[in-house]
Amino acid sequence: MSEIVRSIYAHVPFCHTICGYCDFYSEVLDRNAVTPLVDALIAELDAYAVATSIAADTIFVGGGTPTTLPAVELRRLLTRLAQCANSEASLEFTSEANPATVTPEIADALVAGGVNRVSIGAQSFDKSELRVLERIHHPPQVAQTVATCRAAGVDAISLDLIFGVPGQSMNAWLSNLQAALALEPDHLSCYGLTYERGTPLFDQLATGVVTRVESELEAEMFEATIDTLAAHGFDQYEISNFAKPGRECRHNLRYWRNEPYLGIGPSAAGFVDGVRYKNVPDTAAYVRASRLGQSARISEERLDAAARSRETMMLELRLREGVARGRFADRFGADPAALFRDAINRHLSLGLLEVDAGAVRLTRAGQLVADSVIADFI
Amino acid sequence: MDQSRIRNFSIIAHIDHGKSTLADRLLQRSGAISERQMREQTLDDMELERERGITIKASAVSVDMPVDGVSYMFNLIDTPGHVDFHYEVSRALAACDGALLVVDATQGVQAQTVANAYAAVENDLHIIPVVNKIDLPGARPEDTALEIEHVLGIPVDDVQFVSAKSGDGIEEMCRSIVKLIPPPSGDRAGHLQGLVFDAVYDEYRGVVCFTRISQGRIRKGQKILLMGRERQYVVTELGKMRPGRVVVDSLAAGEAGYFVASIKTLADVTVGDTVTDALNPAAEPMPGYDPPKQVVFCDFYPAGGEEYDELRDALSRLSLNDASFTFQPQSSDALGFGFRCGFLGLLHMDIVQERLERECGVDVVQTAPSVTYEAQLTSGEVVRVEAAGDLPSIDKIAELREPIIETQIITPAESVGSIMKLADQRRGIFKKQEYLSPQRVMLTYEFPFNEILYDFYDRLKSVTRGYGTMDYHVIGFRTSDLVKMDILVNGKAVDALSVILHRSTADRRGRKILTRLRQEIARHLFEIPLQAAIGSRVIARETIKPLRKNVTAKCYGGDVTRKRKLLEKQKAGKKRMKTIGNVDIPQKAFMAVLEPED
Repeated sequence: MSEIVRSIYAHVPFCHTICGYCDFYSEVLDRNAVTPLVDALIAELDAYAVATSIAADTIFVGGGTPTTLPAVELRRLLTRLAQCANSEASLEFTSEANPATVTPEIADALVAGGVNRVSIGAQSFDKSELRVLERIHHPPQVAQTVATCRAAGVDAISLDLIFGVPGQSMNAWLSNLQAALALEPDHLSCYGLTYERGTPLFDQLATGVVTRVESELEAEMFEATIDTLAAHGFDQYEISNFAKPGRECRHNLRYWRNEPYLGIGPSAAGFVDGVRYKNVPDTAAYVRASRLGQSARISEERLDAAARSRETMMLELRLREGVARGRFADRFGADPAALFRDAINRHLSLGLLEVDAGAVRLTRAGQLVADSVIADFI
Repeated sequence: MDQSRIRNFSIIAHIDHGKSTLADRLLQRSGAISERQMREQTLDDMELERERGITIKASAVSVDMPVDGVSYMFNLIDTPGHVDFHYEVSRALAACDGALLVVDATQGVQAQTVANAYAAVENDLHIIPVVNKIDLPGARPEDTALEIEHVLGIPVDDVQFVSAKSGDGIEEMCRSIVKLIPPPSGDRAGHLQGLVFDAVYDEYRGVVCFTRISQGRIRKGQKILLMGRERQYVVTELGKMRPGRVVVDSLAAGEAGYFVASIKTLADVTVGDTVTDALNPAAEPMPGYDPPKQVVFCDFYPAGGEEYDELRDALSRLSLNDASFTFQPQSSDALGFGFRCGFLGLLHMDIVQERLERECGVDVVQTAPSVTYEAQLTSGEVVRVEAAGDLPSIDKIAELREPIIETQIITPAESVGSIMKLADQRRGIFKKQEYLSPQRVMLTYEFPFNEILYDFYDRLKSVTRGYGTMDYHVIGFRTSDLVKMDILVNGKAVDALSVILHRSTADRRGRKILTRLRQEIARHLFEIPLQAAIGSRVIARETIKPLRKNVTAKCYGGDVTRKRKLLEKQKAGKKRMKTIGNVDIPQKAFMAVLEPED
């Protein structure tokens, strides 16, 4: 019997425009493609519901921009997703949203569909920074969106912010943080800008159109973020994620704790029954496969226990709580401190890791170079 | 053919002065190849040669040439154009009775013109100066002829003016070849004596030896002896290149051609050896037997450590048709297992490296080239030192000597000051300054060879705005204040980065190498000290600061596989590096010692 899936991710690939830094699979909204896509998403979910035990306590609709869907279609999708919820547990049901896409009608559709948490892609409150990022919204629209969601009855609000935008100073970043805090969000995700190969921004960097923020400054911004948010009652529970107590994103915690989740939609990744899979990153191909009753998966990977244990290190080290030694031992039959003794000792001596009776975790210095540390556990 | 109708000669020239075009023109005039068949530069057959405009392998072509109604046989003995192949040039010239010295009328006399002319004089050849490219707009034929007279002492009246491209002057040039180059002498009834002036490897026939017969006659089926090697073979094929292969029954004194005799590898033949009859050998070999001397050394390591076998096979294959480079197993803490290779010069090294990658598909990591030093030990013994790592311990060394070259530099007069400054920086010793014309000067200098190894030629080109040319040859060894400089990364000496250099240049070079290393080695999680040291004395230091930030912000919407693959890729990149003292050193960093000085 397969394990019970407690989390679902659904990918809505449409956006009004494609931002220059973004490398998630997305395409410009085509109204005619909406209904076939929602049909296909529901069909994929239906198929899983037959073969898999689903009792979701977290659902996450991401993209793309889910809120570009017309209210009727959005609600149709959300309603079907909500049917997968475990009626005996409290449900965290998140939708991503972009400012300038959330009308009161859309907000109502979200809430009516069961959504109780909205993650808003604010990214910046500075006009020129938004231009560099090729975001279409204006700074005041973030506050409007927050207000619209609250008015519709959304329980939790999260804001995404990006630091290290080309041209950004420390003061400019701190102003962004203050502007975000003024909206009293429950949760903040603060990402250092990543230049992803294949994005326009990457090319602009390569050709010198934009200049990367000095890594020293970026490091200082990161540290200032942790301190500023701590002073406002936000816990850094993951490298890039901050929450008021009890407001952590339970869905993302599933990823970090290397637990199973279902992924549906074009380009969505999932992890079910020990198999990591990825769907085809093309809406037309995804819809076509659905219509023909074919699998949407483009790749699958079954991990053995050793690989799973390494991945667990990779993921859980990003959490402030670290790798819980007891839980790890229960899953893999060995204490991580013993299994990875050499790598742990090396980073202990460099002051990048700390180990206590309960967990192995990154120090503050270790967080700054997390990728270098984690690479030694892979 | 009667000896009086034979002319054996070479065409010698500075690079790009039109040697190959002139050869092709002669072939065409003889009717050996038609206009249609004539590809440019017929005599250069390797792809690489064609691309670089360099003739690596000498060959000989025999053509019937009508001159004033009489048919002659011209044997064109081709020579490599570059100084690295000086030995092969001198062997090819030894097979000739005369030489056409081609000089570009737009460029005038250049460094290799002089070097080639000297080589011809050494071989007692009659030189016919040929001023080429007279049809070009910038041509200065008279000035060029005056330069030839001035530098080489050949009267202006002897100069032939031609355009190899259009054919102008070729008729007259052929007349003077017949008139001025002496026909071969040599007793055709005597004991066989022939000079092997070149050898190439043929996949189907084994080694093909090019020879000029000086006495007697060589026949198919004859049992022959290679006198220098004392090895006997039976001739299975004789022929001439016209320019296609034409088989003959015999070659008589005065003639040039090739023989095949079931010789398996080029290593079995020494260019410069004498072929004679095994049963009735000549009394003594012809002069000039001298194995090629490797003067530049570097290590080749397989870029992927596992490709050691492939690299060894590729080197063996290359040595089949280039007997003048050597290789032997080498190992390094830093780079693992590889080969120490010896070359005739820097160009030769570049050619071998390129052929390895192009023809054999093997990627190599090449260490910085170095020259051979001599160490006189306190025991009296003299040892050759080909790499810093081979240097005996300092208390055993009585004296260290470095190779010295003499160089001729030809330059526009206004660049003389800059060249003298450059020469000063490179420990050059000024010998002579001669004016070829009011605008052009020939400077003669002596340099320690290692001072011109890296970038001297590039620097020369730069200070003379492209007009300077140079040629050099090794003249011997000289006592010098040499030291071994070690490079320490995170406190550990990296053997592949150690260099032998003059004490006076150690500080500057040490700082340069460290600066370059700092750029090549990525930041680590800890601080990395870099030091240059002579013995235990640190003469330069640098620090690579620890990595400040390396963290991916997001988790790609649950796409864990992608995240893991990114990290795996980062890790794989690290694997290709060499880890020394906990520091991952990229292969490029090992070229740091090559960093040009300025």
